[in-house]
Amino acid sequence: MKVLVAVKRVIDYNVKIRVKPDHSDVDLTNVKMAMNPFCEIAVEEAVRLKEKGVATEVVAVTVGPKAAQEQLRTALALGADRAIHVQTDEAVESLAAAKLLAKVVEEEQPGLTILGKQAIDSDNNQVGQMLAALTGRPQGTFASAVEVDGGADDKSLKVTREIDGGLQTVALQLPAIVTTDLRLNEPRYAKLPDIMKAKKKPLDTKTPDELGVSVASGLKRIRVEPPAERQGGVKVGSVDELVDKLKNEAKVL
Amino acid sequence: MIDYHAPLRDMQFILDELAGLPDVAALPACEEASPDLVAAILEEAGKFATGVLAPTNRQGDLEGCRLEGERVIVPEGWQAAYDQFCESGWLGLSLPEEFGGQGLPKLVSTPVWEMWFSSNMAFTMLPQLNVGQAEALLIAASEDQKPTWLEKIVSGEWAATMNLTEPQAGSDLAATRMRAEPDPGGDYRLFGQKIYISYGEHELTPNIVHLVLARLPDAPEGVKGLSLFLVPKYRLEADGTPGEKNDVRCISIEHKMGIHGSPTCTLSFGDNDGAVGQLVGEPHQGLKTMFIMMNEARFGVGVQGLALGERAYQAALEHARERVQGRNVVSGETGLPILHHPDVKRMLVGMRARLLAMRTFLYTAAGWFDLARHHPDAEVADRHRRYVDLLMPVAKGWCTEIGNDLCDEAIQVFGGMGFVEETGVAQLFRDARIITIYEGTTGIQANDLLGRKILRENGETLRELIDDIRACARSVGKDDRLTELATSLDEMLDTLAATADWLLAQGKERTAALYGGAVPLLHLLGTVCGGWQLARAAQAAQRQLDADEGDADYLAGIIDLARFYMASVAPEAASHARAVRDGGNVLAQFPETRL
Amino acid sequence: MSILILAEHHDGQLTEATAHVVAAARKVKESIGGDIDVLVAGENVGAIAEAAARLDGVARVRVADAAVYAHQLAEPLGDLLVALADDYSHVLAAASTTGKNVLPRLAALKDVSQISEIIGVESADTFQRPIYAGNAIATVQSEDALKVITVRPTAFDAVGGSSQDQGSAAVEAVEAGIDNALSSFIDERLEQSDRPELGAAKIVISGGRGMGSGENFKLLEAVADKLGAAIGASRAAVDAGFVPNDMQVGQTGKIVAPELYIAVGISGAIQHLAGMKDSKVIVAINKDDEAPIFQVADYGFVSDLFEALPELEQKL
Repeated sequence: MKVLVAVKRVIDYNVKIRVKPDHSDVDLTNVKMAMNPFCEIAVEEAVRLKEKGVATEVVAVTVGPKAAQEQLRTALALGADRAIHVQTDEAVESLAAAKLLAKVVEEEQPGLTILGKQAIDSDNNQVGQMLAALTGRPQGTFASAVEVDGGADDKSLKVTREIDGGLQTVALQLPAIVTTDLRLNEPRYAKLPDIMKAKKKPLDTKTPDELGVSVASGLKRIRVEPPAERQGGVKVGSVDELVDKLKNEAKVL
Repeated sequence: MIDYHAPLRDMQFILDELAGLPDVAALPACEEASPDLVAAILEEAGKFATGVLAPTNRQGDLEGCRLEGERVIVPEGWQAAYDQFCESGWLGLSLPEEFGGQGLPKLVSTPVWEMWFSSNMAFTMLPQLNVGQAEALLIAASEDQKPTWLEKIVSGEWAATMNLTEPQAGSDLAATRMRAEPDPGGDYRLFGQKIYISYGEHELTPNIVHLVLARLPDAPEGVKGLSLFLVPKYRLEADGTPGEKNDVRCISIEHKMGIHGSPTCTLSFGDNDGAVGQLVGEPHQGLKTMFIMMNEARFGVGVQGLALGERAYQAALEHARERVQGRNVVSGETGLPILHHPDVKRMLVGMRARLLAMRTFLYTAAGWFDLARHHPDAEVADRHRRYVDLLMPVAKGWCTEIGNDLCDEAIQVFGGMGFVEETGVAQLFRDARIITIYEGTTGIQANDLLGRKILRENGETLRELIDDIRACARSVGKDDRLTELATSLDEMLDTLAATADWLLAQGKERTAALYGGAVPLLHLLGTVCGGWQLARAAQAAQRQLDADEGDADYLAGIIDLARFYMASVAPEAASHARAVRDGGNVLAQFPETRL
Repeated sequence: MSILILAEHHDGQLTEATAHVVAAARKVKESIGGDIDVLVAGENVGAIAEAAARLDGVARVRVADAAVYAHQLAEPLGDLLVALADDYSHVLAAASTTGKNVLPRLAALKDVSQISEIIGVESADTFQRPIYAGNAIATVQSEDALKVITVRPTAFDAVGGSSQDQGSAAVEAVEAGIDNALSSFIDERLEQSDRPELGAAKIVISGGRGMGSGENFKLLEAVADKLGAAIGASRAAVDAGFVPNDMQVGQTGKIVAPELYIAVGISGAIQHLAGMKDSKVIVAINKDDEAPIFQVADYGFVSDLFEALPELEQKL
């Protein structure tokens, strides 16, 4: 079974973001970029499926500017076999990303497509679900366990999902779409020899035009602001004072 | 816990713009080091340092090592970290492909090892020993020996140690007593005691390979009678796997002020019938091999100074941004983080300026190693080899001293919280204290600089270096915006040149007086080299700014850091020069009995 | 045009989240008018529909009662919404794991964008939503004919409900004839805890590395029992192995915004603050009076937690 795994280039998890003075967006000039953490989990899952003999090939795909090739190389260093870069400098919203990925799914016909549940920049949590809808495939979102029983020719997939208050397990007809949650696995670190080999693995570049998809969006970002700063309050001197304030001043008890 | 994040932007800027990565990548045998690959390696190494090595640093310090009988127990996190480090192939980064390494140039391995040392100094000493031993075996081992030992050492399957010091033979290896007696079977049997052996014993690997300096029965006295031997913890079976335990045991470990996670062992060889070993290289040529490796080893310790200083700076900066305390000295405003206090800011800007100076200096020197080793033009290769020879005592001595200063200053930024162990900066300070001592103290580096590197060759390479830096100052001075940097650099050079002239003009009878000023001389040369590198950095930053490349704010910061160095560190050059001349004189006349 | 809300329910009960989403819908309605309909999809959901009908501001409850919706699987629910959406200008759901699972399917199939996890309504087409883990707030405007929106429940105060004998909205059945061959339900394991779920709790009490061990979290449990609070943890406590990762509050864990958040032995790393700083009232208990957590706390108590917690339990 072929596994397609989608990755996104986002601001590094550790970078403290700054809003641009003109409030048009977050300032991304020269900040450190990295692979979205949930996408790292997606790549890890795909590579583990290959190591188990379930996946025969792992193809990494991204939508983004030229520099996003760095994240594809990371995926290749982690164990993906080849990569597809849908290159565009436009801002791509979730729906357009899903449409582009749907075209790639159509071309590649993967048995399983794995995505991160959300990107830590836009925090949308949409693309996997939209891709499932557009391709008519079932979805297993927020996965904490993925099980393909019976080997590579199996027709279904068992996905355990993190839902509010617990876990839900569903069976999906293959081909299917899965999005990853935090507990699915712990991504590995790339090995040095694999980083060096990644340079030589195939990487195809396509454009939205070639795929026949317009990346225009019905959504306009009007402004971006920093959240309201929280001010420190008062110090209390005793448990009694604390309980009293919570009851009579804050009225939360 | 103090987080660590690899300073990738500084590293990349220096590699690309100042240390000559494009030139090194053009050398034969270095073609792999393309910019995108190097960026990917640094990125992934940074993740590993932050995610795997840094989190075990504090725990390793708290836990330390202990001796149970003859067993040495290292901190609990070490095994997993070591296994992952080796499996990820990091140990072989700069070692030859023939033995399982990746053969990347020193310029690439230097920032990577800097990250390992920053994230966990005590741990990193373990794999670093493998690299050191592999380099020794590459120089001295026979073609028969290489495959047996090198593959295991390069992969990290077996650990390695370096056994030089004995109780009576510390800085002075001529006093070495360890005996090696030929065995009828063709091997040697070793008898004696070695002290201060880092990772001399542990159970992290199925075997440990000791490289031991010892004396053959027919050896001449002194340093010319030392030979090198390979003594495995477990003797090898015919198929090369570890078998019977050798006659080597750990009889004690030291209780140290720092690097607690690294066991410092006393090893006893031949308590019974002798520890069986193989001779490496020719008889009595052991120290020669050690000398070839010396520049690499000193360089490595210099990088430790940079690395610990970087970690200390990161911690201090984060603290200064978060800690709210005191009132503005002018406006009286309260509620601001301490970074707003001018003196705290002074410390942090000064730290960053010296880090940039050290990093640029060390990476540039790493490039010299590569050029010396691989450049097809013998003259170019030779010039860089001579620079390495002249400046390695400075790279070691100056960068470790400054590294200590930075760890010290970071504690000052933390105030009382820095004196408390919990915050983690105290550990950096304690860990750093060894680096001005091992691999030759600052005093020994300074003596080497003065005696072997300057006086012996009548200052030839030093004058060449001064000319080079002078040319740099001229080039920087052509840009009106950078004139003040060039002027400061010129002033420092005048001081250095005058000091060199004075040194070389003194007669032999005055030599003792000169050695009294050796350490100030080392500081003087270090200070000049730092200023030189920062002037280059400012020039490169200005060039990028003019070309509208890169992050303008960052680049302007580089130029300001160079300015701050020239304003606050460069003036020290004159006082160092004064101490060289006058301090040495006073010392020479001062009777020891008056102490 | 009207607004449709996908009701959120669990174990035969309408969940509180729905009343918060209705509140957001009423804000939308202020600028465009129209009715608010609630869709209750599931199996044997009559009682849930009645509960939804009593929510203030709801005009009509539409009930899709069929086995295919029993476990809120995304594929049939998405198709059902697609079948109904033409009657509406807005479709809203809670930004719960159900809402997040289903709504993007509707958006994709109607070829419109989705606006995720809104925390403010500026007008019928302009909304505020957090990005970068709440480190920035974006105001976005949708030009699509259909607005598909998930709502962060904690950002809107729940609407009230009428009692059983008062008037309530009309309840009518929906026949959509949806089937689902793509996915099937296997099982569901809900936490068997008397405590509320972390993301939905009104009060959260969290422990950090200062707790010293997993065993000491019992001190928190005792207080949580008195308050009916959920228990969380900082990443440092999770990293130290005190408690499992699903208790983590922070940028990589759960983002919570309860009425009351009590941080115990937590220094207040930025990553942790990102996960709780929208709480209405924050209390910090820490022996280090310089801990950054005090800079965001409404009430700070500098004290040894091993003394403060037992006393707090006793005085509550």
